[in-house]
Amino acid sequence: MIPASTRYARATDLEHALSLLAEPEAKAIAGGQSLIPVMKLRIARPSLVVDISRLDLRGVTERDGELHIGPLTTWSDVIGSDELDRPALAAIPECARGIGDLQVRNLGTIGGSIAHADPASDMPAVLLALGARLRLRSPETKRELRLADALLGPFLTALGPQELLTDIVVPVPTRGSGSAYVSVEHPASGFAVVGAAAVAGPGGETVALTGVGATPFVLSGDGIAAADIFGDTFASAEYRRDLASVLTERALASARTRASEDS
Amino acid sequence: MSDTVIGVARPRIDAPDKVTGATRYAADGYVHGLLHARPVLATEPHARIRGIPKDDALAVPGVVAVLTAADLPLATTGTDRTAEPLASEEVVFAGQPVALVVAESEAAAEDGAEAVVVEYEPLEAVVDVEGAMQPGAALARVVEESDDEGGDLESIHAGVDHGQEDDPEEQLSGNVLDRVTRERGDVAAAFAASDATVEGTFRTPWVHQAYIEPQVCTAWLEPSGMLVVSTSTQGSFVTRRELERAFGLPLDRIRVIAEPLGGAFGGKFALVEPLAAGAALALGRPVRLTFTRTDDFQATNPASAQISYVKIGARKDGTLTAIEARMIVDRGSNAGWGVEGATSLLVAGPYRWEAHDLRGYGVQTNRFTFGAYRAPGAPTAAFALESLLDELAQTLGLDPIELRLKNAVVEGDIGVSGNPFPTIGAVEVLERIREHPLWDERDALPADEAVGMALGHWPGGNEPAAAVCRVDSDGTMTVVTSAADMSGVSSGFAVIAAAAFGLSPDQVRVVAADTSSGPYAGASGGSKITYTVGAAVLRAAEAARQKVLAAASQELEIAPDDLEVVDGVVRAVGAPDRSITVEELAKRTLRFGGRYEPLEGHGGSAQTSGAPSVAAHLSHARVDRETGEVTLLRHVVAQDVGRALNPALVEGQMRGGATQGIGWALFEQLEHDEDGRLLTGSFLDYAIPTAERVPEIDTLIVEVPAPDGPFGAKGIGEAPVVAAPAAIANAVARAAGKRLYALPMTPARVWKALRS
Repeated sequence: MIPASTRYARATDLEHALSLLAEPEAKAIAGGQSLIPVMKLRIARPSLVVDISRLDLRGVTERDGELHIGPLTTWSDVIGSDELDRPALAAIPECARGIGDLQVRNLGTIGGSIAHADPASDMPAVLLALGARLRLRSPETKRELRLADALLGPFLTALGPQELLTDIVVPVPTRGSGSAYVSVEHPASGFAVVGAAAVAGPGGETVALTGVGATPFVLSGDGIAAADIFGDTFASAEYRRDLASVLTERALASARTRASEDS
Repeated sequence: MSDTVIGVARPRIDAPDKVTGATRYAADGYVHGLLHARPVLATEPHARIRGIPKDDALAVPGVVAVLTAADLPLATTGTDRTAEPLASEEVVFAGQPVALVVAESEAAAEDGAEAVVVEYEPLEAVVDVEGAMQPGAALARVVEESDDEGGDLESIHAGVDHGQEDDPEEQLSGNVLDRVTRERGDVAAAFAASDATVEGTFRTPWVHQAYIEPQVCTAWLEPSGMLVVSTSTQGSFVTRRELERAFGLPLDRIRVIAEPLGGAFGGKFALVEPLAAGAALALGRPVRLTFTRTDDFQATNPASAQISYVKIGARKDGTLTAIEARMIVDRGSNAGWGVEGATSLLVAGPYRWEAHDLRGYGVQTNRFTFGAYRAPGAPTAAFALESLLDELAQTLGLDPIELRLKNAVVEGDIGVSGNPFPTIGAVEVLERIREHPLWDERDALPADEAVGMALGHWPGGNEPAAAVCRVDSDGTMTVVTSAADMSGVSSGFAVIAAAAFGLSPDQVRVVAADTSSGPYAGASGGSKITYTVGAAVLRAAEAARQKVLAAASQELEIAPDDLEVVDGVVRAVGAPDRSITVEELAKRTLRFGGRYEPLEGHGGSAQTSGAPSVAAHLSHARVDRETGEVTLLRHVVAQDVGRALNPALVEGQMRGGATQGIGWALFEQLEHDEDGRLLTGSFLDYAIPTAERVPEIDTLIVEVPAPDGPFGAKGIGEAPVVAAPAAIANAVARAAGKRLYALPMTPARVWKALRS
């Protein structure tokens, strides 16, 4: 609970941040709600902490039918966003409202949560169900990949060591769509024992689950019976599988109700 | 003027400093030349120590020393945490402190602690408490037999006797350190003659006190050689005795300063002090040891896990006949004391029984060191008994409150201890919750909701205590005691002194003295401080008042008996114009050439009567029958507090107790893996009831005065936690249609029960 000593630098702009992150053991920090705890546990021992919190990567905007969520957008920003205040995207603020407590929501960022890739974190399920894509920058490269392809395993993503997440792109579902997120939380961590995000509308129905496997994932057409679901001392695999089934139905029901309100 | 002081709700006197961050806790004091210690905690649950290499840690910049048991100037032997603050030969639980790394900074000490790789020879870990009891079971401690005595650390917590002789016929392993038996009457015959009997085995986990402020202690040597210990503790004098025992120093060379507590709940008794003091004595420099939360989860002394088998019987009309109980208490590494005595007494509850056979077993395992937690042994006992009483009521078709009312003890009824109950408000609190609207609404709720109830008590505790009340030259009063303020007792002292003397409570300040200067007080625990130290404050204030009357008598030329003190003014009874202020008297006293004795009083108390407090709960729960989640919608607690000196603080204790009961019921559980390594070492894994999960709690104060309590007050801290888990369990049993026999009632457990 006492971090190893480390250096600190505040990035003034994106290029500065990328140059600082060129140091092999450097780590980017935004709200610090994931990195600081793992540093205190000495699971992470960055030689340099690069503070990216002042970069201009915060806020939610809509362009050409796609939503752009800056990775430095905090949970509180998400909850207060007018752009997200519609049935098709309701799962995003609904999910954010259940994250942490007020202090965590004021500091924690959506980009930090994606990059940290906790297998039980809530928002990736919502963004997976909505078909989100990530835009990444390194000193030399720019690329875009689907969130579904970026999540590789527990705390493991396809982001390179010198890559920074610069944009989260969410296609806005067609009119007449609704989305919802429901979860059973672990009472200590607040992370999902099982979380289910659903999108329903003219474009069909999609469900993504979190808390049940190595990464959040989109439920395939074969359903929950075919999914690989793990268990631990708090919740057995059998219980999680049943919860996933119950919560999938609840999320879909809520999403369908919202779809009917999106006229 | 007691009617305008006693019973008036007012804020805690320490609240402004605490909420604005002005309070200086034990980790905050500045000490010149301070070194920081970090513990090296055992990674093995049971092992022989083969070696503790120091070189790598000593090579870390800033590290001053690596201390092992052999480096501490211990003057005693034994296996308790005072005599053996660092494991010497044998590690008996994962998390046991094995070495201390002392450095110029905390970060350097942590780097050094990481570099200490202890060499272990693993031994078989004893983690199954029932298996540990069987003859021939592997022993949880092999290197040396313990002859520890609980001594002071046991007697702090409750006025509980130790039962009768052991049953010599039962063959048990050497892990069973203690057996307690209480028998009266023919239990088998009583069950045979009963119209209904119910029984069950109830399991409760290790539960942490989860105080906000982790354990912390700073120790240094004065140039004179005096050891000074500034610490977060519930008891300064007991800590001084423990340090005397550990290091063989004369008492007058140890000064213990109990700093303001950031929570304790029974967990802060001489765990870190021998470590910090030992390091300071070994190095001759000031040393601070601040546990991190993870240290605190691993290395301290939580409440023990327990397996409680209980059987009870009754006749058709609800009259209870007999109780049989076998209470297995997991003491972990604590060879000194356990709660098998308390829990096997308290399992009988505040009820009359015709016959009883109650047994307690204290069993050593390789898990933690057992310690006290708010009402030790009581919530686990009440969970078992009160669950069965509801089953019995259902079997007999009786109302749960009526069943309890029919059997609740009143003053003079003989308890299973063999002694008569003192004044106790069991009937009164049951009648009070019966009147609450929630009880009436219970049959009109949706199918997945229900209201449960339960009753529980705490016997209270006694220890002689003294206090000083001093009037200063501005006419205000300073109350001096050595009681650690764990629960607002200082605010209670202010009210007692003000009412007894004749001042407004805002003219009274309360200070905690240290062991070198303060009057004696026992440790804060066992719900005894208001009842005992409060009684001493009352007498000290009365003594100070006598001094004031004597001085005023001379000034006013009126006999003391014809004078009264009202709101800081001494005046003639019936002629209020003839008066002098206490301030004026004090000014004429505390000066060169003054003619009166200082306006000070000393008071003491040696309570011998008991003042049990009893609380009844209603809990309204909803069970999600698909997910197994339990949501509490409302909770009611009615408690007999004797007399509410300050109702705001009393209600705070009632809410806090009920909330910790909610923790027992739904959330809290320290878990080990099958090898005995802790899985729940942080608040990411160990759940406590947070604000969003605690419902509105109605508090109903019931006042059945204690004859010897100050203004009738009883100790009230522990009673409100006792039956809260049982009330919630009874609500869940009705809402789910299935009873759970293990705490906490997690969603997965409820889900499983629903499918059984």
